[in-house]
Amino acid sequence: MKMKRNWLILRGLALLLVLLIGFSLVGGCAKPAPPQDQSKGAEKPVETVKVGVIDCYTGAATTYTYDALDGFKLALEEIKEEGTLGFNIEFVTRDDEFSPDKSLNWAKELVMREEVDLLAGIINSAAALGVSQYAKEEKVPFLVWGSMSDKITGEAGHRYVFSMLPNTAIIGRSGAIQMSSMPYTKYFLAGSDYEYGHSVVNNFWENFTEMKPDATKVGELWWPVREPDFTPHISTIRAAKPEVVIVGTGGADMVPFLKAVNSTGLNKEVKIWVHTATDLSTLKPLGAEAPEGIFGTNPYHHYFPDTPENKTFVEAFKKAYGRAPAAFALNGYIAGHSIAGALRKLDTFDKEKFIDALEGLTIDSPVGPVTIREYDHQIISPMFFGTTVKSDEPFLVAGDIVTLSGKDVIPPVEKIQAKRK
Amino acid sequence: MDFSAILSQFPDLYTLAGQFFVGMSRAMILFVVAAGLTVVMGVLRIVNFTHGTFYMLGAFIAFSVAQWLGGSSGFWLALLIAPLIVAALSFVVESTLMRRIYDQPRLMQLLLTYALVLAFNDLIKIVWGVHYKSMANPIPGSISLGGATLPSYNLILLAAGPLVALGLWFFMSRTMMGKLCRATATDREMVDALGINSKQVFASVFVLGCYLAGLGGTLIAPTTNIVIGMGMGIIINAILVVVVGGLGNVWGALVVSFIFGIGESFGVLFAPRFALVFPFLIAATLLMIRPSGLMKSVW
Repeated sequence: MKMKRNWLILRGLALLLVLLIGFSLVGGCAKPAPPQDQSKGAEKPVETVKVGVIDCYTGAATTYTYDALDGFKLALEEIKEEGTLGFNIEFVTRDDEFSPDKSLNWAKELVMREEVDLLAGIINSAAALGVSQYAKEEKVPFLVWGSMSDKITGEAGHRYVFSMLPNTAIIGRSGAIQMSSMPYTKYFLAGSDYEYGHSVVNNFWENFTEMKPDATKVGELWWPVREPDFTPHISTIRAAKPEVVIVGTGGADMVPFLKAVNSTGLNKEVKIWVHTATDLSTLKPLGAEAPEGIFGTNPYHHYFPDTPENKTFVEAFKKAYGRAPAAFALNGYIAGHSIAGALRKLDTFDKEKFIDALEGLTIDSPVGPVTIREYDHQIISPMFFGTTVKSDEPFLVAGDIVTLSGKDVIPPVEKIQAKRK
Repeated sequence: MDFSAILSQFPDLYTLAGQFFVGMSRAMILFVVAAGLTVVMGVLRIVNFTHGTFYMLGAFIAFSVAQWLGGSSGFWLALLIAPLIVAALSFVVESTLMRRIYDQPRLMQLLLTYALVLAFNDLIKIVWGVHYKSMANPIPGSISLGGATLPSYNLILLAAGPLVALGLWFFMSRTMMGKLCRATATDREMVDALGINSKQVFASVFVLGCYLAGLGGTLIAPTTNIVIGMGMGIIINAILVVVVGGLGNVWGALVVSFIFGIGESFGVLFAPRFALVFPFLIAATLLMIRPSGLMKSVW
């Protein structure tokens, strides 16, 4: 009897083992295979610059990360096709699953074993800050194209880190600049209870109260990340009777939050500002359920600005990936072309010289010329303020778009200096 | 402190009423999931972590069914089909794996159910990809309840809870299988001694529990992001509900779900900073007063 029981346990365990191995094998294969060996076929030996891309490629943030990666890949394709760059740019990807520990481990692996020359990516703010610290110690240039934390090029900034997208200081300032001309006085501050949410809202409020001293705060509310149901929170906002709600949320919470705004009709009672509420990656999954009349800031729209440069980019992106590029695609694209722009100034690759070349570099982009500010390595690019409106597409788009120039929305160098003291 | 400011911030009756209904609809989802879990835990006596996974599968399958059919009728058919598919899947899991661990030490059971959680997460990655999914709300818009607004969809949730409770009551007290379930839950040896095929009872209880998990997942799908890992959030709360309500006691699960849902929604209204802690505070208090659960536990 006992033997039979033991045998049963053994059989159960064996089955479990087989099952687990089977799933992990299949799971492993399903992960995005890092495209490699792009240097194959090159006729004469040219120096290869290897970029190690770390980002969250499974989970809720993938809507953004794949856009950024595809934008980067497109830039590399274009550079290769043009063929005048004296370098090969190669890249490998690593999936950190939104975990700061994993990002740091991958960064170490990439630098030590893969011997990459540059690091890039990372949407998770804590992870980006951790890897930034590592990049500083190892003296490896690190181009952030995911995290919007203003700490990266703010108080935690250093020589080896670059931010290739508008950070929360710029986002908050953009919203404040545009909204300070509106007649409202009663404001409610809300958002996801994590770095990005607080940072956007604090930056907004700091700038806004300077521009509009008569604005009052009628309440504040922070919900946990991945909140499954926003209706109770919306009742709380409503109960405070604000005129405007300032929201700092993104990633996993953006779509359900706007869904709840629409189903409760909150957008019909109060004005709401959410950064990237007007972005394609927010409005497309929402479809017809997106609330109308939401204010949003966004660094990029595939239909705006209506310039030949933007149209060319959109066409190329659509041709390569079968979809229109959303805001994050621009980040990766600008990062790719910035790397090339800096390399053009070099004869042989050297990390220190590469950084010198990146500092103050201006490149042409789908949104016009963008510059990497010399002092803090923050990209200066325009911001677009719009309102969600119905369109011919099966989803809403941004209407009444106002362009805020990059120079106006970036905080002055003195503010960054003050923060670093 | 400015008292008039605090007073003006105090929500009016409409808000309170609205928040009550919101909390109730939240409680209903929790109840549907916890009812399934309590039946499984009561009769099978395993701590089934896979329950949350079946909830997640319900949401993913509902998404696919609705997308495949298209239009607003998609959801209603998904509501019928998705939980059934989940139930069928759970039958396969029960007859191949779960069946082998009922007599094993509890550690073995935890090992298997948790391993299944990981395995199914990878399976979902393969089938549905890594991006989160968003499903169309079948009845968008909101209704006005005397000044308070409530999303129309919440009405479905409000209706679903009592229906499930009634259905379970009917099953448990009026059908042969239900009576066997209750008997097995209270005195398994006696049932075995009477020569009843307890294997069959176990299988049907497991499938019923997972059907309810799938139903919960389908119901929540239109209001939220359908994403890998969504099951983990609810399983913790569901286990709490089951423990506090009394293991295997459906009515206990119903009462505690109400307390949790309403406690949480009013917590958000009055002390949003601490809203996350409310269910755990309630659970701790109730367990201190009644360590064996609010209602009679079958364990």
